[in-house]
Amino acid sequence: MTAVERRPSARPRVASLRPRRVELGLIALIAIVVVSAYGLASLGESASVPADIGPFLAWMLGLFFFVHLAVRRFAANADPVLLPMALLLNGIGYVMIARLSEDVEDGSDLAGLQSVWTAVGIVAFVATLVFVPRIRMLAQYRYLLGVAGLGLLALPLLPIGVEINGARIWVSIGPVNFQPGEFAKIALAIFFASYLVDARELIKTRIELRDLAPIGAAWAASVGVMVLERDLGSSMLVFALFVVLMWVATERTLFLGLGAGLFMVGGVVAFRAFSHVERRIDGWLDPWADPQDGGFQIIQATYSMAEGGLTGTGLGRGEPDRVPFAETDFIFAAIGEEMGLAGTAAILMAFLIVIGSGLRIAIRATRPFEKLLAVGLTTLLGIQAFIIMGGVVRLIPLTGITLPFVSYGGSALVSNYVVLALLMRLSHEQRTRPNATEAVAPR
Amino acid sequence: MNGRIRNLGVAFMVLYTVLFAQLNRVQFVDAEDYKDHEGNIRPQLRAFGQERGDIVTADGVIAAFSVPVEAGEIDYRRSYPTDELYAHVVGFQSLNQGAFGLEREYNDELAGSRLDQQFGSLKDLFVDRDTTGTVVMTLRDDVQRAAADALGERNGSVVAIDPATGDVLAMWTYPSFDPNLLSGLDGTAVNEAYRALLDDPDNPLLAKSFREVFFPGSTFKLVTAAAALDLGGITLTDPVWPETDRYEPVPAGSAIRNFAGSTSGGDLLLALQRSCNATFAEIGAEWLGPDAMVRTAEKFGFNADPAIDLPDAAGSRYPTDYGAFIAELDAYQPEDSDPLPNGDTPIHENSAVLAQTAIGQNDVKATPLHMAMVAAAIANDGQMMTPHVVDEVRDADGGVYERVEPSVWRTSLSPFAAGQLREAMVNVAVNGTARAMQVDGLEVGGKTGTAQLGTTPASSHAWVVGFAGLPGQAPEIAVAVIVEAQPGASEQTGGAVAAPIARAVIEAAFGSG
Repeated sequence: MTAVERRPSARPRVASLRPRRVELGLIALIAIVVVSAYGLASLGESASVPADIGPFLAWMLGLFFFVHLAVRRFAANADPVLLPMALLLNGIGYVMIARLSEDVEDGSDLAGLQSVWTAVGIVAFVATLVFVPRIRMLAQYRYLLGVAGLGLLALPLLPIGVEINGARIWVSIGPVNFQPGEFAKIALAIFFASYLVDARELIKTRIELRDLAPIGAAWAASVGVMVLERDLGSSMLVFALFVVLMWVATERTLFLGLGAGLFMVGGVVAFRAFSHVERRIDGWLDPWADPQDGGFQIIQATYSMAEGGLTGTGLGRGEPDRVPFAETDFIFAAIGEEMGLAGTAAILMAFLIVIGSGLRIAIRATRPFEKLLAVGLTTLLGIQAFIIMGGVVRLIPLTGITLPFVSYGGSALVSNYVVLALLMRLSHEQRTRPNATEAVAPR
Repeated sequence: MNGRIRNLGVAFMVLYTVLFAQLNRVQFVDAEDYKDHEGNIRPQLRAFGQERGDIVTADGVIAAFSVPVEAGEIDYRRSYPTDELYAHVVGFQSLNQGAFGLEREYNDELAGSRLDQQFGSLKDLFVDRDTTGTVVMTLRDDVQRAAADALGERNGSVVAIDPATGDVLAMWTYPSFDPNLLSGLDGTAVNEAYRALLDDPDNPLLAKSFREVFFPGSTFKLVTAAAALDLGGITLTDPVWPETDRYEPVPAGSAIRNFAGSTSGGDLLLALQRSCNATFAEIGAEWLGPDAMVRTAEKFGFNADPAIDLPDAAGSRYPTDYGAFIAELDAYQPEDSDPLPNGDTPIHENSAVLAQTAIGQNDVKATPLHMAMVAAAIANDGQMMTPHVVDEVRDADGGVYERVEPSVWRTSLSPFAAGQLREAMVNVAVNGTARAMQVDGLEVGGKTGTAQLGTTPASSHAWVVGFAGLPGQAPEIAVAVIVEAQPGASEQTGGAVAAPIARAVIEAAFGSG
């Protein structure tokens, strides 16, 4: 549309530092917010400034500055708001976890672990930027990643799997526990995106039974996860990911309807056949029918958020530990109690900004693989956040899944930082070569 | 693909907007409702662990107080030194299960969190002043203990009221529970104790004295008699009904028989003394009609929200629908006989049901508290006082912060009818079925009831209601006793089983026990 035709540049465009300046400003703002919240939580609870506020500030500023410098070095042109939003969510989550572990008397130091996991996540973020200099290279490993993704998904079914709170989604190797499903979703997103680049033209023009086989397989895998690992959240997430990518790739609304239909059939069958699914549905429809058992969690979460009202009880001044799993599945309720509707709305806004940035990256991407990958990664974050927040506020049946960046949990934190790094890499590539045909590796 | 991606963006906007709307519902629109939920213990939790005032009986026995806790975040826990004796009235304050009874109803006053309690303390801002309130009950420890001892380990309830003020002097239900089990700091133990109480088939958590309704049986004849005296043109001595063993309803329906085929009849005084079913059924259906019966029952507080100052009270009920009007009673009269004095009584399709309700059967249900109030209204010249278990709230310095003033809840019957009924009830306690509640030196009136539950095996609720006072003076106490599901179904059951309990309570109240 522009009047002046721009000639492709022979050398890499000099990275403008403007996005990074914006990012630095946002990070500084978020550092102030998080450290204030940390101090307030302690003041609210014990009327004293936490003794470790100095070290906490130093540690946080160190991490923030480190990651910012790494982005300057390895993805200088990337979107300036994605990283600050993630740090904000992570910071607020950390403050809540630290505040909640004050009330825990069994000696487990969730806050200390979470600070370590945050550091690991940020290292993983930087490592992803370093080791994935070109997003296209990921497509080369599509089948490897596809197999790895399914394998990771099924890993907890092996004897090394551990069942915790009714869901078999953990793997324990030596002293390390982790949730392979958190990494499976990334591998599957990359696999689906690259697979659909090849397959979409075929599926677009005519539909044959064998073209529908993959969606059938994905459906089977997701129902399999739901049944065998009792992990409703992950199964919904993986299935939604696939359906969204099919729909965007083929531009056929049919797949949206087909996907929804298949999921409902699977859901109804599971509801009939498995008591844990039925319990979740019953607890969603009328938790007060069984307030001591099936409805207990959701009722406590509702009371917690109602207690918070518009502005919350104040950090450290509520009783969010009355909600089971307040550090993980129900951290959104804890935020709602102590920071009120203002706090939960802020979390919603942060996720909407991440989704908006992610989809903008998808639209600006020029190649189908990059488009689809950006859509897939954004969908992972957006749907996962929606599934758990919607579950906590009783909009949809509750499924145990972490709130990205906010909930306690090492695997989730690390994998979400990897997702973020991939989005940053995509963003950096487009902004670096707005009309180039050749990818340019950052140096 | 860009079109689809934009659609996806719109879809996410929609999803998150709905999420935001639901958040507004939970955190703002419906938040107050959720805070008031019965199972929501957060309001109590705020109060739990703070020091609270005592709950004491009218004669100074401490039923609840706060004990300092040495370790942990919680500074105080509640202790109930009287164990189960006041559990249904005082309630309890628990960490996990919320608060019940007065602990809930007077939560703010006990915690001293009301604005005026706090405001009073502003003048000594720099002194660490105790703002908690002490709740003084109207219940008397001597009367309450007598009620519990006399009932023993039989399921039932005993309620005693001061007719002139509505002060509840005793309110006891067996089985009760030990609130100390539910006020502990060990949440698991509390939950287990609570669960065990819930699972108990006798439901000890339920204060049946004011939260459960029962067939009142023949004690309801007092209401029918009040209607007869006030609205039916009937006096204690006129008319005189012929001796019969049954009442055949109009229009035809199943006959109402006296107990064990006994014959009954005579005037209203004798009918009450012998508790004649046939006579009272006829009075209700053929002398009064639906309108007069319903009006009188509602003047006695049936079909109304209960008036007691405790949460979750049950209301008593009296059926109001008797079908369409058919004709006046004269239409059923043989043409050659003399006109009936009550020939214009309206007869409805279900006048046979009305006959049953007139003797406390069919769908008439009342709480033991309410039947005590019925007796109290008769004892208090027709004025039914608002019942209350709290007398006053005192501040930490002993000054009265709030006092519950006596008030009239309903005007149930005329002073004249009340006097006539008192005379008839004294007669029942002297010559009739309630002789076992007689106390030397007092003027006692009563009425028994036996509400049949079934015939295989025969069982029934044994009732007695009544009043007592010094001779020639206004009665000072009204009582109601129900002993649930007693074997047998004779009209003697109420007199034999329940009346001695009423006597024990009366004796305790007059200090002659």
